[in-house]
Amino acid sequence: MATVSTPAPPKTALRTSGIGSMKVRRMVSDVITYILLVLGALVVLIPLLWMISTSLKTESELFLLPLRLFPEVPQWHNYIDVWRIQPFTQFFMNTIFITVLAMGGEILTCALVAYGFARFRFPGRDILFIIMLGTMMLPGIITLIPTFLIWRGFERIDTFTPLTVGALFAWGPAYIFLLRQFFLTIPHEMEEAATIDGANTLQTFFYVMLPLVKPALLAIAVLSFTGNWNNFQAPLIYINTLQKYPVILALYAFSESLSKEAPKWHYMMAMTVIMSLPIIALYFAAQRYFIEGLTVGAVKG
Amino acid sequence: MDFYARTLIDYAVVALGMAIAMFVVFQVLVRLGMKREAATGYALILPWLLGFIIWTAYPILASLYYSFTNYNVFQPPKWVGLDNYIKWLTNDRSFWPSLRLTLLYGLISLPIGLALSLGVAMLLARNVRGVGVWRTLYYLPAVIPAVATILLWRWLLGSEGLVNQILSPVYNLIGMDKPSWFVDERYALPGLIIMSLWGVFGANTVILLAGLKNIPTHLYEAVELDGGGAWAKFRHITLPMVSPTLFYTLVLGMIAAVKTFEPGIFIKLNSLTTGTFLQVLVYGNAFAGGNSRMGYASALGWIMLVIIMVLTLLVFRSSALWVYYEGERK
Amino acid sequence: MNNFRLIIPFVIAGMAIAACAAPPVAPAPRAQQPAEQATPAPAAVAEKVKIRLATWAGVEEAKELQAVIDKVNAAATTYEIVHEPQPADYYTKIQTNLAGGTAADLLWLSQEFIAGYADKGVLLDISDYLKNDTRPAAQLDDYFPDVLQTAQFNGRTYGLPWIAQPVVLYYNPKMFADAGVEPPNENWTWDDFKAAAEKLTRDTDGDGKPDQWGTVFNGWPPIHMFIWQAGGEVISEDKTKSPIDTPEALAGAQFYKDIIYNPKYAAPQEVIKEQGFSELAKNGKVAMFFGGAADDLDYAHTKDPRFAEMQVALVPKGPKNRATFAWTASTVINAATKNPQAAYDALVDLTEGIHRWKIVAPRKSLANAEVIAASVPQKKASAEVILKALPDARSFRIVPRQSEWDSIFWEKFQDPLFQGKGTAAELAKQARPELEATLSQ
Repeated sequence: MATVSTPAPPKTALRTSGIGSMKVRRMVSDVITYILLVLGALVVLIPLLWMISTSLKTESELFLLPLRLFPEVPQWHNYIDVWRIQPFTQFFMNTIFITVLAMGGEILTCALVAYGFARFRFPGRDILFIIMLGTMMLPGIITLIPTFLIWRGFERIDTFTPLTVGALFAWGPAYIFLLRQFFLTIPHEMEEAATIDGANTLQTFFYVMLPLVKPALLAIAVLSFTGNWNNFQAPLIYINTLQKYPVILALYAFSESLSKEAPKWHYMMAMTVIMSLPIIALYFAAQRYFIEGLTVGAVKG
Repeated sequence: MDFYARTLIDYAVVALGMAIAMFVVFQVLVRLGMKREAATGYALILPWLLGFIIWTAYPILASLYYSFTNYNVFQPPKWVGLDNYIKWLTNDRSFWPSLRLTLLYGLISLPIGLALSLGVAMLLARNVRGVGVWRTLYYLPAVIPAVATILLWRWLLGSEGLVNQILSPVYNLIGMDKPSWFVDERYALPGLIIMSLWGVFGANTVILLAGLKNIPTHLYEAVELDGGGAWAKFRHITLPMVSPTLFYTLVLGMIAAVKTFEPGIFIKLNSLTTGTFLQVLVYGNAFAGGNSRMGYASALGWIMLVIIMVLTLLVFRSSALWVYYEGERK
Repeated sequence: MNNFRLIIPFVIAGMAIAACAAPPVAPAPRAQQPAEQATPAPAAVAEKVKIRLATWAGVEEAKELQAVIDKVNAAATTYEIVHEPQPADYYTKIQTNLAGGTAADLLWLSQEFIAGYADKGVLLDISDYLKNDTRPAAQLDDYFPDVLQTAQFNGRTYGLPWIAQPVVLYYNPKMFADAGVEPPNENWTWDDFKAAAEKLTRDTDGDGKPDQWGTVFNGWPPIHMFIWQAGGEVISEDKTKSPIDTPEALAGAQFYKDIIYNPKYAAPQEVIKEQGFSELAKNGKVAMFFGGAADDLDYAHTKDPRFAEMQVALVPKGPKNRATFAWTASTVINAATKNPQAAYDALVDLTEGIHRWKIVAPRKSLANAEVIAASVPQKKASAEVILKALPDARSFRIVPRQSEWDSIFWEKFQDPLFQGKGTAAELAKQARPELEATLSQ
């Protein structure tokens, strides 16, 4: 797996210390490297800082020239205002509800399917697996209309069902692929031992296999969490009542209704910060799994 | 809160149904004389198989059918043959600008983005201090919700926004007026590209960095022994060795570009001149108030499918020319 | 998408105008609310059915509407209206809701949408309910017939209009004085308007480029009203023809084409993109602006002194008449409502409430200066002109496939005409058969 930074191997030092000009060149290029890296970091950070600083400004400060990075007095109450303008607590609960159900269903069923593909031989397995990978290429829009009509047939428009129940059908070919790669690395002896102890397939799966692929499960969990938290298209199509809005839809409605009136960018940025915070917190807490989930496909595929 | 309960019930019913279905499939297959291993395999992949049939195969075929009809949701679909493909495509003045926008967006932002990402990844791979910190930082924009990124950049790229303020000396120098990015059709595409570069380059950087870290150092040493410089190392070692990773990010990026949706919803683009993203065009036609054209939208969806298939095929075909699979020894 | 686009000039402009207009009606004293609700017997409260109302109201407008609804609810015995504002993508939400069977009981629809939905059978026909209703807001003969017809289809009524907002001419007296031009009067013709616009388009800072303009067009005001003024029609009275290639219609279109984006009279496209549309008038960059009667252009400066002072005049007279466009919208009932009677009762009461809030209420008995001043005190000074504009105000003739008709009219006629991609006569000739194809059933 991708490992975090390794200290410069001593080899390098040996190699460069011999020749003076090499050392100077190395230093110059190091300086350039750091300058470039810092520049890049500024490009990343300034917009983010601007987002936070805007969220703390007053309306009249928004367009004040020259632009100032820091508001005169940070308007922390902007966050409280935003929370009060709309039933934000409700929006958060909705988002959490959707995310948890969808994530849970996704992880469980994808793991089952991946296990099936990785460990059992059955006719047509490889073709089915390729078909599954192929569905990654499908533009979701092509299935959008019939899917909408199916949910309409079940009278489930404007409910959370279309956003969550589909997850029980092993959404996410990428997750299946990732988990299968992990299952393949586990030696067969583990299952054989379990079978000898009298465990059935499901027991083996839950008590032996799943714990062994825990890093992969966590990687999927963070991917799935962010994916569902940030999902915009599905709620846009299926959810119509304010009370049922997830945060992201509230943000959209707010941006639309504000564009009709005065552009209250300080509120918009406050909402954006609120919406991003859980994801950013998760990112800092579980960075390893983010990177694992992201890189495993590229390096192993 | 009864709407939570409603979905919870749906969820439980489907979950239970799925478990029962898996069990039944297993039992039936075994009774029919199939080996236990194969029967277990089928039972385990059942959720995906059912999902594939219900949520992928059927919808694809259904949308093919709808694409030959006139369908406004309220009245039954009416068969119109190829009308949607011919009449609407030739008459819809939004289609060609939107196709152009979507393709240009992908064609420009992908190579630039990959080059930038590769550059940064190579810097990080130089054993700089605190790779972890840099990586965390660069990856940050990629985890921020796309919608947040869009709103942020709409604000940054406003005509009185931060970017124009910072760049105003440059504008003065080359004697050009402050562009109003998303309003003026000449600057809409550059604005969208800048936004997307900021959003994704961190993710690609992390992927490419992982690829770079996998290159054995002895290869570079071999080039050094041959007297090769930095360029030779890049050209003969780095590029070929990282090409599979580049290929992977390219394919993913291409699909993502064609599927772009949120920017087109949050940023009102003039579909007649600038064009809008194809997905937005499909969505707009399918769910337009008072004039829902599910049939035409389905036809557009199929056209997008064909575009993606052709592009993917092209990229895969071309990969033989530039993607180097180490040793091909497997 | 293209539907959204072409409606931009009308709906968005109209909605924005309607939205930013409305000043606060004396807000219902909220503190009294709980007390009032506590007094009636709990059983009576429980019997009230909930009637959901979907609107496109933004934050501010929703607050004002809530005050209206609170009053209506306080007086109602059988229902309680619950407001569900949908400021984002209103018509898309309505569409999915109607398709999915989850739409609210009452819906706001602007004029273009009613016939289409009525034709598809998704709106409740309220003709029979109206017959035996004695409440003032249910008296159809009190409504302006031309506005009412937008809520009717095949002789049946599907909703009650709640606003008839005629287009008037806002002008900036200071800019007129500076340019030495007489302010507009009731006898103004197209030629007077053009001559004034030319003189008002000036370069004040001496850089060789005009920095203030006589007027501004961008698809708004609707080209329809100039075609009407010249004696032409875009949709014939029997709704089977789109005679946009008649000499009269072409004269109206040509007048519009002469002005739009023409730096001699009006702000060019780049300027509009850069500085906004109605903002140009508000910021004193444009001397004459065609706006809805409820627009805040004539009192914006009282809220914020940076905005220019403007006054109201009638739109200039065309060769045949002084027709002006009346933006209108109605509240309709979802045919799938579970409580049609309660929904209908709520509709009539709510409409009465809105008629006391929005201007101009589309009823003859309410079209007077007192009601206007009571609804929107800031409009007191302009009431006289607005009332004079009313007799000439016309709404669109709406057909079931209106959005298709609108896209063709915009994409095949207006847009190419404004962008100089053909003459009015050529384009009209090409567009007419396509337009008429959408009129035949």
